[in-house]
Amino acid sequence: MTEKTNPKPEETKIGVYVCYCGGNISDVVDVEKVAEKMREHPNVTIARTDMSMCSDAGQSIVENDIKELGLNRVVIGACAPSLHEHTFRGTVARGGLNPYFFHHVGLREQDSWVHSNNPGGATEKAIRLMYAGIAKANLLKPLDMIKLKAERHALVIGGGVAGLRAAYDIAGRGINVTLIEKTPFLGGRMAQLETVFPTGNNAREDLHSLINEVRTHPLITIHTLSELVNIRGYIGNYDVQIRSQSRGVSGDNAEAALAACTQEVPDDFNYGLTKRKVVYRAYEGCFPSTPAVDWEHYDGKPIEIDGQKVIFENKKKTFDLRIGAIVIATGFQPYEPPRGDYGYDELPEVVTLPQFIRHMGLRDGNVGELTWKGHPVRDIAAIHCVGSRHLAGVHEPQPDGILNNYCSRVCCTATLHQVNELLDEYPNINVYDFYEDIRTYGLEHESYYTEASKKMVRFLRFHGDQRPEVVAAPEGDTHPVLVKGKDYLTNGLEVEVPVDLVILAVGMVPRPVDDLVDMMKIPKGDDRFLLEVHPKLRPVETPVPGIVLAGTAQSPMNIQESCNAASAAAAKVAVLLAAGQVELDPYVANVDLDKCEGTGACIEVCEYEDAIVLETMTVEGKEVQRAVVTPANCSGCGNCVSACPHHAIDVQGWEVAHYEAMVDAITMEVEI
Amino acid sequence: MNETTTTKEPKILILATLSGGYAGADYVGQQHLNYSTNTSILPVRCPSMFSTEFYIKAFEKGIDGIIVMYSGTDSPFKGGPERTAVMVDQTYKKMGELGINIKRLKLAAICTVCKKPFLKQVNEMNETLNEIGFVQDELADQGKDK
Repeated sequence: MTEKTNPKPEETKIGVYVCYCGGNISDVVDVEKVAEKMREHPNVTIARTDMSMCSDAGQSIVENDIKELGLNRVVIGACAPSLHEHTFRGTVARGGLNPYFFHHVGLREQDSWVHSNNPGGATEKAIRLMYAGIAKANLLKPLDMIKLKAERHALVIGGGVAGLRAAYDIAGRGINVTLIEKTPFLGGRMAQLETVFPTGNNAREDLHSLINEVRTHPLITIHTLSELVNIRGYIGNYDVQIRSQSRGVSGDNAEAALAACTQEVPDDFNYGLTKRKVVYRAYEGCFPSTPAVDWEHYDGKPIEIDGQKVIFENKKKTFDLRIGAIVIATGFQPYEPPRGDYGYDELPEVVTLPQFIRHMGLRDGNVGELTWKGHPVRDIAAIHCVGSRHLAGVHEPQPDGILNNYCSRVCCTATLHQVNELLDEYPNINVYDFYEDIRTYGLEHESYYTEASKKMVRFLRFHGDQRPEVVAAPEGDTHPVLVKGKDYLTNGLEVEVPVDLVILAVGMVPRPVDDLVDMMKIPKGDDRFLLEVHPKLRPVETPVPGIVLAGTAQSPMNIQESCNAASAAAAKVAVLLAAGQVELDPYVANVDLDKCEGTGACIEVCEYEDAIVLETMTVEGKEVQRAVVTPANCSGCGNCVSACPHHAIDVQGWEVAHYEAMVDAITMEVEI
Repeated sequence: MNETTTTKEPKILILATLSGGYAGADYVGQQHLNYSTNTSILPVRCPSMFSTEFYIKAFEKGIDGIIVMYSGTDSPFKGGPERTAVMVDQTYKKMGELGINIKRLKLAAICTVCKKPFLKQVNEMNETLNEIGFVQDELADQGKDK
């Protein structure tokens, strides 16, 4: 497929294609005008437009043109190259051309989407950028990808349900997996649930069945209390450094230490509803079953075990791994309302939904009457969208300046699922459900709403800018708390509902992972969740090759969706690593031996060991020194390019001459 | 192709790294934030490849302002940011010798989600160019002085 020689400029036959992108580009840029201008270029054989160049039909047009018109270069103006450059290289290759005889011009993210206020200017810019693309295409040379061994070993960061699912699926494809979990125990948020929708299964039973599969899998190694502290390298060959903390207690003294420990702290597993010791298990039946010391809270004082005073020591260790690909499954945390919001943290009768779920789980088998802090519960209000769907100008931004304007999606179904379970057990309780919109999306999830209606849950609808207010009831009132608001199901009727307990259906926020973001150079979205390359076309990939996302680190998801995403991430990793080698773009330095004088200036500025060396060779009967590049060691940074006094070295595919030609095109005056 | 625009405006070339500024520019697009159309963004692996000669030629061809949006400490290339800084510094000296206002060249670290810094750089370069005018006028003035 690779052409042996670079066609001479006069033989260049370029096909130019400008994508409407379903209106994303053409709503701003006059795409037909751009194509019309391209046809005026002497090297352009054909210029076409299409509604969607990335579609099968769009790609077929290019393939056919290459074959029928003898095109030897292709330039496509479309969305960002990060999305479809790879797609179109495949298109060009199927047409019979070297895939590097293609240049992608980004006309969406860097033109139509940023110049919607100036369609004329955007069209002129599109013409300018396309001309620059043609200028580069004229100079392109055929290249072959570099094949490198890829480590058949994946790193999964996060031991919640998404990380576990991804680890198991990757290992199932015969690839080694190292799973690291920052806390002492596996299971993540799912372990804190009681029953899960849509199956109604016990959450921890489902979770433990997955944990058992993972911990007994011969290809999976688990490290709890461990986190990534350094990463270098590239897809197929990441060198990572993991730092592990010790559990502080071991099999010999673990149970005795647990029994002897007296220092207590709020139990984060129960969202602070109870206390636990600083030597602890997250819950009975957790994995690993060995207790661990809570290093964040341990006061460092000795604990008497079997007559001996013992001070626990956190013996940290670091170890290195060579990894082919990485799955980030760092999960979420429930939104914590600020003090006073809906009475949270001020009125003892106001809890979040996760706290209420833990409260239900903590009951000691007494199902006769639901109580809260010793008082019977007869009337409950549930309030939706707490920490979600905030409106600019109405709600205060979060401490980091960001407004939680997104919908956390899961809370509506989770709330109604919990309410239905509650009413199955306590049919005499009255539930008042204050909602903005009910979004029980998903197959048959609507049934949670209809079931709640049948169970006589009273639904009251508020507007986003008129959310209900939760206040303490006057002394002597029948109930401790009043929920006040307007119900738009009854034409904005003012309501005041006395209740014993208020449940806040809080949204999801991502766990803070700025350290990972900085290390891996992966982007976050405006909502702080990690950002995929494309929500539809590349839904689990990050822009960094070989690093993929799984679960709620990416966006709010329920358990079903988290597992789907994790399996998708695992499939992506398997595709990358299954062959044991990865193909990298051949963008490495290349020496023009006719120009090289052997000055060694390139070597002086090269930071990569053995990427360039001087070798002795015979030129016109004389022994001379010339620079020689070892592609596997070269990063293609181009330090050497600016250093060479004879312009004898360049980066393949990204040559200085390409840029000079593009600058020529950009500076050309264009009229539309 | 030899046509002219009705309203001449300064031309800004943005050399943006794939690991930084170019992805940042894509992110600005995803947020649908507006900036001026006189910008041409070219993707680069690492701007350490550009010599002083390249920058000077670009100015001579009519590029009024160049923003090198590199990846700074986020760069995946060892020594790349440092080499870039050296080359830009050398270029400033050459610009001074040639009478080209050094404000026309700017080195800025832009990350993949740096939407505000990206817009700030573009807006500031536009303000600078509105203040100091076209490069070719500047070069013509230098020619007269000689």
